[in-house]
Amino acid sequence: MLPTGNKDAEKHLAQMEGRYRGLLEAAPDAMVVVNQGGEIVLLNLQAEKQFGYRRDELIGQKVKNIIPEGFAERLVADGLRSAADALAQQIGTGIELIGRRKNGSEFPIEIMLSPLESAEGILVTAAIRDISLRKKAEAHLLQKVEELNRSNEELEQFASFASHDLQEPLRMVASYTQLLSKRYKGKLDSDADEFIAFAVDGASRMQRLIQDLLAYSRVGTRGKDLLATASEDALQHALINLRGAIEESGALVTHDLLPTVLADEMQLIQLFQNLVGNAIKYQSPGVPRVHISAARNGRKKWVFSVQDNGLGIDSQYFEKIFGMFQRLHKRDKFAGTGIGLAICKKIVERHGGSISVESKPGQGSTFRFALAGS
Amino acid sequence: MPIEVLLVEDSPGDVRLTQEAFRDANRSIHLHVASDGVEAMAFLRHEGAHVHAPRPDLILLDLNLPKMDGREVLAHIKGDDSLKTIPTIILTTSAAEADIVKSYQLHANCYLCKPVQFDEFASLVKSINDFWLTKVKLPQRQSG
Repeated sequence: MLPTGNKDAEKHLAQMEGRYRGLLEAAPDAMVVVNQGGEIVLLNLQAEKQFGYRRDELIGQKVKNIIPEGFAERLVADGLRSAADALAQQIGTGIELIGRRKNGSEFPIEIMLSPLESAEGILVTAAIRDISLRKKAEAHLLQKVEELNRSNEELEQFASFASHDLQEPLRMVASYTQLLSKRYKGKLDSDADEFIAFAVDGASRMQRLIQDLLAYSRVGTRGKDLLATASEDALQHALINLRGAIEESGALVTHDLLPTVLADEMQLIQLFQNLVGNAIKYQSPGVPRVHISAARNGRKKWVFSVQDNGLGIDSQYFEKIFGMFQRLHKRDKFAGTGIGLAICKKIVERHGGSISVESKPGQGSTFRFALAGS
Repeated sequence: MPIEVLLVEDSPGDVRLTQEAFRDANRSIHLHVASDGVEAMAFLRHEGAHVHAPRPDLILLDLNLPKMDGREVLAHIKGDDSLKTIPTIILTTSAAEADIVKSYQLHANCYLCKPVQFDEFASLVKSINDFWLTKVKLPQRQSG
């Protein structure tokens, strides 16, 4: 409703002013208004509290007294733009500076500037936020990251030790039991042959376990940054690595057009290789068929499916199979240490996704995992 | 004429395995063993106890050796005009890319990783014999 007379107009103006003053005072951030000369013309209660000054101690003072550096530069930069431009751009453009209290102590602040046209020229309103807590949290996070990196380095060193120093004596045990077996098979009694065979088998299995453990730990310690990767190329590479198994089993491997995703290329190849390799290995009678496809899920994700017509898996084992060294079959039926799917899971999780299986015994399995599109 | 092969290897277990594997592959091979880099160079330069050592037709060199390691030995061999014509094969457990690159940079004739299983190792030694000591033409042995 418009005011009708001068007195009403004045009353209205006073009301509005009161309202705005109220807003300013109630603002959760320190608010300081600065003129083109860099002097503070207005401030609120929070500003008094944050900087430890009384209002009358700051009005007319240079803003440099409470924000020693950076404000003037920003002011100049903003001065070079039109008010409209500055306003349009200011949302989200908080900048980090240092604030100085009356007692001389300094603290980190984030300020957001917005111009204000007034009768006295362009004023700048600064919303000032004390970010000491945020900075502390960031420092804490950084420290945690450093600890994690150190821990990773230790893991890498252990893995390196396991690969070289552990393998060495193991190689001696494995090689000499094999030599014994070769040289003396049938020359000692049958018990001896059996004992030697168990020793040879044990040593070989231990070697494979160590190598698999290494491979598993390296998913983390040797992982590379995620970059745009053509998943179809990765699949082709995996199929080349599997060509022996594919030829031997007569398997038919087909795929749809596959997308570009954010991935560590070597790990993506390993992922495909393990899944397709399993699909061929755990086959049912007849020609093994494997089909790889991908479907969009939302704007940014692709869900890959590796489907086979193999043995299938009972639903009670759906989670177990992704565990480390978990096997569902006896050792003499299917080779392998049971680390393959655990590695797949670790790779997928490293890429920010998850892996799952859908299956019925005798009806094949479909393994699904999601990756971020590029 | 017997074929002379110098094996530079510090692990007695590996030495014996290599002897067994060569025995199976080719009985006319004389396998000489140096257990560290210093002894290897003395053998090649006919120094000290090795004053009557024959010039090897082939050198099998492990990388991780005490006193003078395999990389140094390789550098000495390939830096010496009278020795660099002897084919030198790196035979080691390390599969590290850095080691492979360094060895070829120092002009190793080839780089082989010791397999973990003995029958694969025996097969590898047989391949070495078939290739380097049967098919490949080596320079006639000259007095060193």
